Amino acid sequence: MVLSAITEFAAQEPKIYGLIIGLVAAAILASVINVVAMLLVWLERKVMGDFQARYGPNRVGGRWGVLQLGADAVKLFTKEDVIPRGADKPVFVWAPIVAVATTMLVAGALPFGAVIIDGKEIPLVVANMDISAFYIEAALSIMAISAFMAGWSSNNKYSMLGAFRGIARMIAYEVPMGICVISVAIMAHSLNVVEIVQAQSIWFVIAQPIGFVIFAIALITDLGRMPFDQTEAEEEIIAGYNTEYSGIRFGLLYFQEYIVMLLGSILLVHLYLGGWNGPVIPVISFISPMIWFFMKLIIVLVALIWVRVSLPRFRIDQVTDLGWKILLPLSMVNLAWAVVVGLYFA
Amino acid sequence: MGISDVIPLPVAVDKELEKWTIWGRPLTDVWFTTTEKIHEIIDMGPIKNVLNWGRKNSLWFLMQPMGCCGVEMLVFGCPHYDCDRFGIFPRATPRQVDVMIISGYITRKYLPAIKNLWEQIPEPKWVMAIGECAISGGPFYDSYNIVNDTSKFFPIDVFVPGCPPRPEKFIEGFRALQEKIKQREDKRGY
Amino acid sequence: MTTANDVLSALQSAFPGAIEEAKVDPERQLWATIKPDRIVDVCKYLRDNHNFDHYSGAAGVDRIDEGLFEVTELLASHGAHQVVALLKVKTPRDNPSVKSLTGLYWNANWYEREIWEMLGINFEGHPELYPLLLSDELMGAWPWRKDYKGYPDYNTAERAIEKVNPEGYTDYSFTPTEAEIKAGTVPFERPKYPTFREREEMEIKGESEMILHMGPQHAVVPGPFLLDILVDGERVKKAFLDVGYIHKGIEKIMENRTYTQGIPITDRLCYMAALTNNEAYCGAVERLLGIEAPERAQYIRMILEELSRIQSHFLGTAEFLTLIASAVYSPFLYMIIDREDVLSCIESVTGARINHSFVRFGGVRNDLPEGFKDMTLDTLKMIRQKTEEYKELFSSDSIYQKRMEGVGVLSPSDARRLGVSGPPLRASDTPFDMRREDPYLLYKDMDFEVITRKEGDSKARVEVRLDEILESCYIIEQCLDQIPSGPIMAEGVPKRIKPEPGEAYYRVEDHRGEMGFFVVSDGSEKPVKVKARGPVYAYFQALPPLLEGVYIADVVAIAGSMDACTSEVDR
Repeated sequence: MVLSAITEFAAQEPKIYGLIIGLVAAAILASVINVVAMLLVWLERKVMGDFQARYGPNRVGGRWGVLQLGADAVKLFTKEDVIPRGADKPVFVWAPIVAVATTMLVAGALPFGAVIIDGKEIPLVVANMDISAFYIEAALSIMAISAFMAGWSSNNKYSMLGAFRGIARMIAYEVPMGICVISVAIMAHSLNVVEIVQAQSIWFVIAQPIGFVIFAIALITDLGRMPFDQTEAEEEIIAGYNTEYSGIRFGLLYFQEYIVMLLGSILLVHLYLGGWNGPVIPVISFISPMIWFFMKLIIVLVALIWVRVSLPRFRIDQVTDLGWKILLPLSMVNLAWAVVVGLYFA
Repeated sequence: MGISDVIPLPVAVDKELEKWTIWGRPLTDVWFTTTEKIHEIIDMGPIKNVLNWGRKNSLWFLMQPMGCCGVEMLVFGCPHYDCDRFGIFPRATPRQVDVMIISGYITRKYLPAIKNLWEQIPEPKWVMAIGECAISGGPFYDSYNIVNDTSKFFPIDVFVPGCPPRPEKFIEGFRALQEKIKQREDKRGY
Repeated sequence: MTTANDVLSALQSAFPGAIEEAKVDPERQLWATIKPDRIVDVCKYLRDNHNFDHYSGAAGVDRIDEGLFEVTELLASHGAHQVVALLKVKTPRDNPSVKSLTGLYWNANWYEREIWEMLGINFEGHPELYPLLLSDELMGAWPWRKDYKGYPDYNTAERAIEKVNPEGYTDYSFTPTEAEIKAGTVPFERPKYPTFREREEMEIKGESEMILHMGPQHAVVPGPFLLDILVDGERVKKAFLDVGYIHKGIEKIMENRTYTQGIPITDRLCYMAALTNNEAYCGAVERLLGIEAPERAQYIRMILEELSRIQSHFLGTAEFLTLIASAVYSPFLYMIIDREDVLSCIESVTGARINHSFVRFGGVRNDLPEGFKDMTLDTLKMIRQKTEEYKELFSSDSIYQKRMEGVGVLSPSDARRLGVSGPPLRASDTPFDMRREDPYLLYKDMDFEVITRKEGDSKARVEVRLDEILESCYIIEQCLDQIPSGPIMAEGVPKRIKPEPGEAYYRVEDHRGEMGFFVVSDGSEKPVKVKARGPVYAYFQALPPLLEGVYIADVVAIAGSMDACTSEVDR
């Protein structure tokens, strides 16, 4: 009865129905992503512990410490919210919100795997756009602006240095990253991430090895993780752009980093590792794409954590050098390669 | 604090909003809570237990080595003792920590700085005195430059004796602090 | 080969009448009292003609009975010969003033400033006589003078008055009470000096420049000190260093303790090098007492000091790695694991992890436990293997190479001029090691190599440390092979230590460089003066010139590669 009422309503008011469905989907997406990001922080602490001959959290929530991040969240979200004297208040307040909002923009266009119903592959994506690869790339670079807002408004020298570093780094790496995305799009004949995934009968990591390396490096840089975490280099500029943030605002910035890490890894999987492609597993064919997708995702995430614990940090001038002098020319080579191969296959 | 302090709104809107109430208190109070108001609202009842559970299991401390105990503090975070098991880990900025560890001698020159660090830590916060020097001046009790009575300046919850205490004692100190938070018996009454 | 007697006769012929009294005791130490107006000439002569290019420090002694201050200048050479010249200058207690040596030796700056602020001896010709270790309230109180009435001062905390300064931060002042002013404990009117903040702010020239405060609490600092850098963008233009945040007044405290009670205090001088500090202090007092530890005790000391060197180098390198990488950098944590193994070896003997108080006058506290040899040999085997691994890791890690190569280069001549010692000096191609230079204990029988590097950059400094770990392993293995059985305490060491009046200087190779103790006795149970000449103090002074013109990220790479220990700087 309820179902029929809904269909009736949908028929009568398609626009309002679409809006409501969109909002519900967005809410589900946002909460799921937040929970997954918290699990990711937990995963990072556990995996880091394994790399470093220690346990990692194991007291809260059983022997695996799964509730550790719950405790962290409860604490962070109920801590005093300090807005420093001399801070640019509106900008200071809005920076974390902008950060999370831009992240959610990315999430809207990213497919989170696919399911097979009646032999048909249905990608799980909120907004299936024609130019989603381009859109995701653009939204990722907006994030640097939130970091800059945070750093600039804090009225703190460390924050400001972190913000400057972030912008310098972003400019140096968005260009090769964008060219990589274009190369992928040329080979796949589409800018739609879903179509890019479906076009990968051969994974693009094999078709474009240089592009994969460049994209991975640029992605780590975008995420601001070791060895590219100059914006929040703890030993140089305390905590970088979020030095003055506390409580819930810091919590947002902190979790946002991990959400971006999650989304970035998903993007990497989609663009180069064939997304959810893989042989269909017979009995559970319904979710077999999801299994492949998550396996690839977890490998990428663990690799990111691995890189974090095993490499020292670049200096900021070396980072920009690497971006402009090595990655940019290489990405051009990759573009040329993609054009030649793409035309040949076409 | 009005809404227009946070969101650039016309003052008239702000004044209108101030008239609105929820559960008999101004809406703006509930929206833009300060620590005191958070406390007023949730001080009694089981929700406090949930908060204290979160707080006690996520005690981030300030990276601030001061003396011999500073070395043990460093080791406390490393594999053999691994404070991350308890959800404890160091942060470099006072804005993001819960616990300040006084891990050494406080001198006349350092006292204002360390007091400022303490004031920069957002509530709720706790302070631990680790090592004899932080408790009473230790072997330097009679120096011309040492402030030997730390508890006069900071509401110290846990004293960990030793010169320096072993990293195991650090863990014990943190466990004691967790127990205090759970029992709601810490000095500042969270 | 220059001997102390040669130097003395040369001095006497060059400056007839300027040398008031002189002796050579023991064979490598030259003690002389110089007329105050000739001290600069004598030092210049020694520096230019006899290779005394290493200014080791200065100690101020308050001879209250004679109404005199003595300033003892410690001069030595960087390997040209092994003579230490201890030149005394006397000055009356009212209106004390001596000539400054800053024109001859760059690194005399801090030593003289310290004596000035503690004892009130004016140094003529010193470029910047500003407070170094003390806070403003204590300036003018001259706490190291024997008639300083602030000791013991039990009520420091009660006198603190809280106030809010104009910037809104809490500040404390320790205003003297009226009774104290009457007693003369604290000066009522203090001389005014420009504060550290004011002095550095004078240097800001352009619009784009700002001062970045790294400290007193900052992830880069191994203890509280203030490293302020004047930056233009990411470039450092000038660096300023403010120390004294944990100045405990160890030297004054030791004057008020008996000799034996001084040993635990020396532990806390530098917590990473407790055993070598013990050794340096006990060695100096043993020289005063005229006793020598039995052979077995000397071997035990050597074994433990080398083990301690290993753990210190591990921690130093590990801390440094956190600075160029981050606190989750795995090799850092692996090093701490290895260090724990070394610590358990030390702990099995001394019972403590950090502050051992193990060395005694004329011996050691207790003997090696059973099974120590096997345990240590196993550990050393593991340490060797791990150290080789680290060396391989660092030489193959290209990011590491990029960060470290050519950063903070100290040329050999600069390193000597700035007074650096220990691994940073050896990384600058100067084989200067007290174990070889001025052999104490039984190091002269040991076969080991003094590690040097040619480059003088941060990478070389770390490599020297890692190689020294291997050398230390080798020394310990030799010691464990050769250690004889026998007593561990010398015969006839009195229960109450009362050395004859006199002075002694004893220097050892600390983990971080040259550590010397200068002890003055007047025949009573308590020393008149204990001066600790620490290595970190010496190269902290050299840090600001090294930091000019580098990137902010390099500041941490350079400061970390020096392996600092604030506790010893501030004392």
